[in-house]
Amino acid sequence: MRKVAVIGLDSVPPELLYDKLLDRLPNIRRMYEKGVHGKLRSCDPPITVPAWMVMMTGKDPGQLGIYGFRHRKGPSYGEGYIVNSTHVKERTVWEILSSHGKKSVVLGVPPGYPPKPVRDALIVSCFITPSADRPFTYPSQLKEEVLKAAGGKYIFDVTFRTENRDAIREELFDMTRRRFDVAEHLAKEHEWDFFIMHEIGFDRLHHAFWKFFDPQHPKYVRGNKYEKIDEEYYEMVDGRIGRLLEIFGEDCLTFILSDHGSKAMKGGFCINQWLEKEGYLAFKTDPTSVTDIDKAEVDWGRTKAWGWGGYYARVFFNVKGREAQGVLGPSALASEKKRLTERVLKIRDDAGKRMGNQVFEPEKLYKSTLGDKPDLMVYFGNLDWRSAGTVGHQGMYLSENDTGPDDSVHSMDGVMMMYDPRRSLKGAEVRGAEISQVAPLLLRAFGLDPAKEGIEVRPPDGMVERVA
Amino acid sequence: MGKTLPTKYTTVSIPKTLHARLEKLISTKTGFKSVSDYVTFVLREVVTMHETSQSPDPFSSKDIEEIKARLKALGYL
Repeated sequence: MRKVAVIGLDSVPPELLYDKLLDRLPNIRRMYEKGVHGKLRSCDPPITVPAWMVMMTGKDPGQLGIYGFRHRKGPSYGEGYIVNSTHVKERTVWEILSSHGKKSVVLGVPPGYPPKPVRDALIVSCFITPSADRPFTYPSQLKEEVLKAAGGKYIFDVTFRTENRDAIREELFDMTRRRFDVAEHLAKEHEWDFFIMHEIGFDRLHHAFWKFFDPQHPKYVRGNKYEKIDEEYYEMVDGRIGRLLEIFGEDCLTFILSDHGSKAMKGGFCINQWLEKEGYLAFKTDPTSVTDIDKAEVDWGRTKAWGWGGYYARVFFNVKGREAQGVLGPSALASEKKRLTERVLKIRDDAGKRMGNQVFEPEKLYKSTLGDKPDLMVYFGNLDWRSAGTVGHQGMYLSENDTGPDDSVHSMDGVMMMYDPRRSLKGAEVRGAEISQVAPLLLRAFGLDPAKEGIEVRPPDGMVERVA
Repeated sequence: MGKTLPTKYTTVSIPKTLHARLEKLISTKTGFKSVSDYVTFVLREVVTMHETSQSPDPFSSKDIEEIKARLKALGYL
C-alpha cells in the first residue's frame, strides 16, 4: 500500500537549500535529482501560523480566520489571544484521511496545541506548547513514549537569549536531534499511511544566525565563529532525513516542504511613529522610552488608526460604533483606507529611496474573512523591513529588531520536493506551486478527490500524474 | 401526576478495558452512580463544547505572557 510522508522544514528558502547547500546534502540531493522540486509560494501573510494550516487544509488565511500568531479580540484596543489548535475549524489532511480509514502520525505541526483527538492518528503538539508537563499528545499515553524516544526530554522550541548565541546553538541542535529521534521512533514502531513532521529549528537558525552566515547581510563579518552554522545544521538534518527515508521504505512517497522562505533583514520601520507623524495616531503623553503600543498612553479620542509589529504590519482603524472610543464614521472607512494606502505606498527608506511597500485589504485578498481580521495588511519593502510596533524610538528606521535579536525576515518562496523511490522523476522542476495546493495534492496521492472533501483548490500543475 | 416522562435510550459500545477503568474511576472519585451516567455527562459536555465552539482556552494567562515574550523575541509581534 502507498504511504505518504511529509518532512516539514519551517522557513527553508530555495536560495539556501537548492542554490547554496545542495551539494553538501547527499540525501536531499538524491531527492532533488530523482524526484521533482520547485519553489512553493507561501500565503499572505507568509507566517508559520497560518501557513502550515493553509498547507494542510487547502483554505486561505481568511477562510481559516487566522492572520498570524496573535489576534486582537474583537474590536478591543488591548485584549488579544494566541492562536491554538482549537481555532482551526477546517479539516486537515489527516482528519480527512481518518474519515477514509487511513492512519496518520502528526509530529509538531503548528498550531498543534492542544492536540486534537483524531481517530487512528498519533499526534504530538507543536512549538507553542507551554511545557512538556502539559498533555501534549493524542492519545495521552503517547506522551511517555515520546519522552522516552527523545531521551527523556522533548524540546518544543529554543529559548532566545539576546547575547548568548552559543547557548541558542547548542539548544537548537539538541532540539532537532531529539525531534528526529522521536520521528524515527514513531515512523518505525507504528503503523501509518500518512506521516508528517514539522521542524521549527530552521526558522530559529535563520532568525538567530542569518547575519553570521550570509555575506549579503549588512552586518555580516567575515571569519566569525558561526560562519558555517547553516552548513552544519542543514548537514545534520540531511543525515537524519537519510535515516528517515530508510525507515519510510520503497513504497513511500516523500515530500520536503517549507511554509515560507527567509532572507536578510534590512531593518525595522516604526509603523506607529509614522502614523503619529501622519496625523493618524495621538498620545496623551508622548512616550519617553521604547514602549509597546499596547502599553503606551494612546489618546483614542484623537486616534484614527494604529498598527501592530511583526514580519508584516496589521493596521486597525478606530471606527465609531465598532471600537469603544471610535472617531472615524463607518462611511468614511473605505476612503480612509484608500488615503492611508496611498501614503504607505509613498514611504521611503532610510536612504531616501522608495521602499516598495504593498498594502492589502483582507476582503479583497481572501475568499472570505472570518475571525478577527485587520483593516489593512502592509508589507514594507517586499518584507525586507519588519514592522516595529513599539513607540518612543529616536527615528522611524531601526537597524535592529525592536523586540529582540533578529537577523532575518520572511520571504514568499519556500520549497517543495517530492521523491518516489520506485521511479525517477528526473529532477524535473515544478513551477508556480502554492502552499494551499499541498492539501489537495496529498489527498490525490491517496486516490481521493479533493473537491469531494470540500477543497476547491487544485493540486499544482503537472503533479497529479506524478503522485498517481 | 407522578408519571415519569418516557426517555429513549440506546446502546453504544466502548472497550471493556475502558469500562473497567471508568468503573474504578467513578467508584473513587466522581460521585456518579453508574458508568452510563458518567459517560452521558462527559459526552454532553464535549458535544456542547463543540456545538458552541466554546472550548476552554488551553493557555493560562501566565502561558500567554510567556508565549508572547517568546514570539516577541523571535520578531513575530
